[in-house]
Amino acid sequence: MAKQSHPTMSRALQRRENISGYLFLLPSLVFFIGFVVIPMLICIITSLTDANMHDQGMFGSFVGLSNFTKLMSDGTFLEALKNTFIIVIVSVPTVCAFSLWVSSAIYKLSGPVLSAFRCIFYLPVVTGSVAVTVVWKWMYDNYTGIFNHVLKGVGLIDQNINWLGDSKYALWCIILILFTTSVGQPIVLYVSALGNVDQTLIEAAEVDGANSFQVFWQVKWAQMMPTTLYILVITTINSFQCFALIQLLTKGGAGTNTVMYHIYWTAFKLTEQAGHFGYANAMGVVLAIFIGLLSALQFKLAKEK
Amino acid sequence: MKMKKLLAIVLAMAMVMALAACGGGKDDSQPPADDQTQSGSQTPEAPEEPASAGELTLWTYPIGNWGKEEEVKAITDAFTADTGISVKVEYLAYADGDDKVNSAITAKNAPDLIMEGPERLVTNWGDKGYLVDLSDMFDDTDKSEINEAAMAACTHSNGSVYEYPLVITAHCMAINLDAFKEAGADVYLNLDTHTWTTTDFINAVEALYDHYQAPVGAVYCKGQGGDQGTRALVNNLYGGTFATASHDQYTWDDDENIKALEQLKSMPGIAFDASLEGGDEIKVFYQGILKMAFCWNIAQQLNPNQADTGAGLTANGEEIVFMGFPAQGGSPALQGGIWGFGIFDNGDQARIENAKTFIKWMCDSEHTVDAVKTANYFAARSAAEGTDLSGIWADNDIMNEYQILMPYLGDYYQVTKGWAGARTEWWTMLQKVGEGADIAETVAAYAANANAADAG
Repeated sequence: MAKQSHPTMSRALQRRENISGYLFLLPSLVFFIGFVVIPMLICIITSLTDANMHDQGMFGSFVGLSNFTKLMSDGTFLEALKNTFIIVIVSVPTVCAFSLWVSSAIYKLSGPVLSAFRCIFYLPVVTGSVAVTVVWKWMYDNYTGIFNHVLKGVGLIDQNINWLGDSKYALWCIILILFTTSVGQPIVLYVSALGNVDQTLIEAAEVDGANSFQVFWQVKWAQMMPTTLYILVITTINSFQCFALIQLLTKGGAGTNTVMYHIYWTAFKLTEQAGHFGYANAMGVVLAIFIGLLSALQFKLAKEK
Repeated sequence: MKMKKLLAIVLAMAMVMALAACGGGKDDSQPPADDQTQSGSQTPEAPEEPASAGELTLWTYPIGNWGKEEEVKAITDAFTADTGISVKVEYLAYADGDDKVNSAITAKNAPDLIMEGPERLVTNWGDKGYLVDLSDMFDDTDKSEINEAAMAACTHSNGSVYEYPLVITAHCMAINLDAFKEAGADVYLNLDTHTWTTTDFINAVEALYDHYQAPVGAVYCKGQGGDQGTRALVNNLYGGTFATASHDQYTWDDDENIKALEQLKSMPGIAFDASLEGGDEIKVFYQGILKMAFCWNIAQQLNPNQADTGAGLTANGEEIVFMGFPAQGGSPALQGGIWGFGIFDNGDQARIENAKTFIKWMCDSEHTVDAVKTANYFAARSAAEGTDLSGIWADNDIMNEYQILMPYLGDYYQVTKGWAGARTEWWTMLQKVGEGADIAETVAAYAANANAADAG
């Protein structure tokens, strides 16, 4: 009897728990659908239209893939795409390598010292990006910046370098700031991951005669792969979406235009241009495709590893 | 379990309500809240006001002191006391003001009144049909009193008037007179007429560079901020033009402009600086680093860098002199600044009528003196309902002296179609020239882009 009634009670209990589970999920789901899924769908749909701020209705007229074909011959967009890839290709490996190096050096330090290092590297992350950028802007300033002052003081340069106004330097200056604001989280994650590496495996490897490099590469690195994958994907997405630095420092000039900034400029500044919303959304779709492809590649490589 | 359920329902409802609040039903009368928003109805004299006759929203760019809350509050309070119409003011910055207005238009949440120039009100928002035609506000007397060029600029090619002009000025440049004297370059200035020739300018820059061994002027090109200065500099040096007189095509690829750019690029004392916009250039000039500024007007002369450290003085106390842009014959064609009010057509006739009452009160009544003085520019008309406006600055030496430049006002070409896109092409072109690209080819390419956008 008891055996027969138990599954019935269980199902009812299960149903009630399911309902309450979904209700707990509902608030997040509403936000996720409202602010992620629906805008994403709107973006994809409008990328196929000539939507703009002047016509009635959200979607404009259907224009097929013409926004995308136009993008392929848009010199400004292609330059922005090139700059975006430079930022990603340079910043992602350097952020990962630097974070790993710093984490390896500090994770065995005693509690307060380790916390101090964590704070130092995490400070630019928690500080407002506008505040950080303004300080960098002062340092880079062509006329009164500290970099020019120091370099001239030690005799390395005769004339001021226009760090943010010269296309030879501007993009690299942006990458440097992006680097400093990006390493905080990976360092904290790597320190945590290194601390969680199974000590018995390390000891076993050492007993088997592995040197420290082999221990790191064959044991620790393998166990940190999920963390590395997360860091790679997050850093890649952040680098692809570099916007605030460009907006605050160069406004896309001096060879620093990125796809994210060009989307903003096309959508909200070039409002006289026909179909500017649709065209900007087409750029957004292209950017999303590139981010998706690169993230998928990273997942695949990490899985193989 | 019951508690869990209850909590889940409460949480869900809270989140759904929050979402609904974010997406929000709109109240046309309420622009997005802002720290700087003030209400003309919140006045200490409220009990003495007439019964409420409605309310208005005004969004204003920083046009002189129309960007300062305390100044604007005084005049809108006076308007409210007089008419019973309360005014909620939101202050826009040039950096992101257009974004806010465009977003508001898209969200159908535009303000009743907007204060700016014809390049936005006529060429952009008026052209797209967002603004109310104000033609019925001008009778023959008004038309005879209002500056002809200002009236023309505020009138769309379709005959509709989308802006009621309040103030005008001439944009100019400025020099650090003490620095010029120190370098012996002051001999090239005509301080009586505040003008100089192209040759004088070239010689002065050379003398300054020889003395200071660093760039003394900057063709700033980080963005569009203050780009009227770089346009006027290039156009005036050899008599080039920016657009046709009929305002249907951009002409900055003419030989005179190319010659001017080549001349500027060849001068070591002039830097093409893609890290500066107009506002940045003013700051560096105010600090005494640059010896001349190309982004200047009477508002700057009265309060350089808006630093409140003295009219016509740099941070170090050096004397600033305003000058016309150098031109071959010494007679520049200066860029005009025209500012006034437009009314967004939000479909509510009562609010439109209130907005017209506001414009009439500010631009064509005995109160126009205060509205003009708030802007710190010159009146766009000679008289308003019998009040003579020609001598309102008689008590201000700087304003009086500045009027010497007003006859040099040139064509107001900012109403050429495709203006926003053309500005982007202009400063991007300057960046390329600064980087060393072939000047003739670059200028031709970017002017063609501007004209293509114009046609599109």
